[in-house]
Amino acid sequence: MSLQNVHSLLITDIGSVHTRLMLIDLVEGQFRLIGSSRAPTTAEPPLANAGLGLEHAVQSMTETIGRRLLDPDTQQLFSMPEMSGEGVDEFLATGSAGRPMRVCLVGLTPELSLASARRVLAGSYNTITDVISADDIRSEAEMINAVLRGEPDLVLIVGGTDDGADEILLDLVDRVRTALTLIRRGTIPTVLYAGNKALKRQIHNRLGALTKVVYARNVRPSLHEERIFPVQTELALVYDDYLGKSPGDFAAVGRQSRVGVVPTIQGYINSVRYLSQIAPDGTGPLIVDVGSANSVILAGVRRAPHFNVHTDLGVGHNIVHAVEAVGPRNVLRWLPFELSEDALWDYACNKALRPGTVPATPEELQIEQAVAREIVRRLADESRPAWGSGQTFSPIIAAGATLTEAQHPGISALLLLDALQPRGMVELRLDPHNLISGLGVAAYLNPLITVQALETGGLINLGTAFCPDGHVRGGRDALSIQLRLDDGKVINRTVRGGEIWMAPILPGVTARLTLRLRSGLTIDGKRRLKLRVTAGAAGIIFDARGRPLTLARPKDRAAQLLRWQAAMSGQDQAPARPAADMQPGLDDLYPAKQEDEYALPS
Amino acid sequence: MPYHPETTVIRGLARIHRERRLPPQAVPISTHVVTNMPVDANYIVLQGNVLRDYQVIDVAERLKLRDSEQAAELIEVSEGSRVEIGQTLAQRGRGRRAKLLQSDVTGEVVRIDGSRIILQVSARAVEVPAKLQGEVESVGQRTVQVQGTGAVIQCAWGNGGFCYQAFTFVPPDGFVGLSKLDVRISEYRNMVLISPSPLTKGDLLVAQQQEVAGVVAPSMPSNLREFAMQLKFPVLLTEGFGQRRPTAMIYNLLQTNARRQAAFDAVVPEPWSWDRPEILIPLPHGNMTPSVPAVGQALSPGQQVRITRAPWDGLTGEVVEILPTPQVIANGLRLPTARVRLSDDRTGLVPLANLELLG
Repeated sequence: MSLQNVHSLLITDIGSVHTRLMLIDLVEGQFRLIGSSRAPTTAEPPLANAGLGLEHAVQSMTETIGRRLLDPDTQQLFSMPEMSGEGVDEFLATGSAGRPMRVCLVGLTPELSLASARRVLAGSYNTITDVISADDIRSEAEMINAVLRGEPDLVLIVGGTDDGADEILLDLVDRVRTALTLIRRGTIPTVLYAGNKALKRQIHNRLGALTKVVYARNVRPSLHEERIFPVQTELALVYDDYLGKSPGDFAAVGRQSRVGVVPTIQGYINSVRYLSQIAPDGTGPLIVDVGSANSVILAGVRRAPHFNVHTDLGVGHNIVHAVEAVGPRNVLRWLPFELSEDALWDYACNKALRPGTVPATPEELQIEQAVAREIVRRLADESRPAWGSGQTFSPIIAAGATLTEAQHPGISALLLLDALQPRGMVELRLDPHNLISGLGVAAYLNPLITVQALETGGLINLGTAFCPDGHVRGGRDALSIQLRLDDGKVINRTVRGGEIWMAPILPGVTARLTLRLRSGLTIDGKRRLKLRVTAGAAGIIFDARGRPLTLARPKDRAAQLLRWQAAMSGQDQAPARPAADMQPGLDDLYPAKQEDEYALPS
Repeated sequence: MPYHPETTVIRGLARIHRERRLPPQAVPISTHVVTNMPVDANYIVLQGNVLRDYQVIDVAERLKLRDSEQAAELIEVSEGSRVEIGQTLAQRGRGRRAKLLQSDVTGEVVRIDGSRIILQVSARAVEVPAKLQGEVESVGQRTVQVQGTGAVIQCAWGNGGFCYQAFTFVPPDGFVGLSKLDVRISEYRNMVLISPSPLTKGDLLVAQQQEVAGVVAPSMPSNLREFAMQLKFPVLLTEGFGQRRPTAMIYNLLQTNARRQAAFDAVVPEPWSWDRPEILIPLPHGNMTPSVPAVGQALSPGQQVRITRAPWDGLTGEVVEILPTPQVIANGLRLPTARVRLSDDRTGLVPLANLELLG
């Protein structure tokens, strides 16, 4: 399977809210992103047809770039292969929409095989319904009931080194077998076996007649070896199969792609793996994607991808759970206005009812951005132990509409800096089309497409952020900056402690930067830097707020947050509030009732 | 380029088709429902048993036998048989010294595997009403299609309850006034109450005390969700949570049909469910067959829409123009938008994502 003879490639990513589409074509010998479009996802009832949303996105793309992609004459959705500038050679699909796959995990030891299995599962969208291990002290009936109550779509069985212990694992498999034979309605879950390879025949004899059994290489062939990737590849195929059977008619989309619908996270993982393998120091990018239902963070560390997926954290479908998980107070501290916890919960519940809607007032936008900050912060905090202390990443790439479609590119950058608090010199980028995930799938087939499409403008470059380590007291001079532009213009600026500044330089313009850091601050251990820097959509960013970032006391916090936002929006003062007639005061419309007015029985 | 917004059905008269389903965990029981049969909203169209936990009884272990084959021969029940509490499952020996293994649950023997008996504990019965006055279109093992005609009002949230009752508006002094009435002679008892103002906990307590059949309101604080879920009557929110403005079209429609009987189906909305909380008011249609509300249509000028987000949430209007390029809105976001003329003749730019078609 390869894409060696492919000249044009259409990639879709079906998210919970948006179906994104990208067209990559060979232009002057290089693969480039030449068009993108987006339409609301139509997988959920009442339409329950993911293909419709895709078709809408394709129509929109055709209108934008004038290239006919749909084929009305055949059963295929697209005209494939490309002929006379119409259609495309290949189509690939990733997806994160749909109910997460329910997985029952069966294995020997929680610290070894089951821990590896959890890392495998982190590469897909699933919820673990139950874990059965050799240490399980429940009775057989309790285990069977636990398996059945969870109504799993998949049973993942791991355990035993190759040619190692077998009896205990087979005992557990027998319990699974008993449970599966008791299923009276619905579909019997698929079994993915990734344990002791010597037991494949016995597994087949016990489960083969009952359900579909997929075999992967042992995730833990020896005590000291872990093979996540081959199992994840099989898991991706199982996920595609699962999606195909789920409501939403993903099967129709999957049939157009030679690899089915690959989990979006799987595409990310492959991209990060590939990019960290080609990086000279083995450190790949850091990617954060905050979606409506799922959120994910990935980083390339020592030439391997490290990732953390939460199928219960998002700014739309799962915003209520997200606020619960990160804590409402943590969200409220990012708001430059007073909001009660109750009002925050009301907002979250309403957003969850209509996850496809967008904030239309400045206040609502701030709430969503605050939730996104806290989701990213949580993902990063959970991941840091795996990354290793002091690990820095560049570039940092953001995906998901809340992060990529802020009111100003500077605000997108600010959200990333607030949430991740990177140190040193960091490139910030946006992936508004979820290109990286799709290119991760393309990398299986032709890595050249991935590299070239990323290098030739597939991402939005926000710019370089200089984030010194250490602290300077608020108000004291922290950074002395001189930017000498090629046209001879010189910008001198001093950034004080606790402040952030976005140098107003047009994207693509290069400047010679001389940066002096005051005592207590360093970048990569240095207090003086001289280098050429190219500005991005957010200019060049100097963050003298210190690490770790400290927010002011509540009474001063609103002013502090507004100052930072104004600085990163290219304004000297906070954005103007909308006209009064656009914001009817609901308190005026519905004055609060007094509870003691009621004549309730005592 | 075409944009396909969500659709919420608010219609004075429509042809309604609904599929009623057994819960996924239920095993169906046959009913006497047949195609073309007239049904009212409370008529039970599906019945089933909700399956419960299994018990694994190892006869050899319980009767202290080493030989499991010998133990298997002592089993006195067969697969598929029903057992009652105290019924003998296996017996070792005879007479007064016999050792009996008795069932401690009522249930069904689902498997006998050697000396092991697997019992499934008796199930709870579930019944699914038609929730719509009309006639049965088709009958499946787990589903029944019902059709009827009437007004349809799809809502934002429900507490899981259902009733088919007449409805009326709360008195002018609201729930506060209602709380002063004697429940024994109150005209609001067993009626569904419509409140055009957001609910408070006090309102719900009054509704409970006054033994009303249900409550419909634009919104309520989200921290009342748990409380509302415990109430025995349906609570329907037409807009959402917090202090939300009522959609005038909905409350006008309810006003027009006040005192009629209606089905108040307060299902809890789930992203992957076909069911939406809704109010179905059966209405005669004479010789004219009303149309079925359409979903998934592309947005175009002239269509009636509802705005779902602040600052104009709950207002309805007409699409005047869909702007060809994204526009910057009040909060600085650059979004695809439409110009909408509101019912008071004001016009404004609204993000397409915040519009829903009124099916």
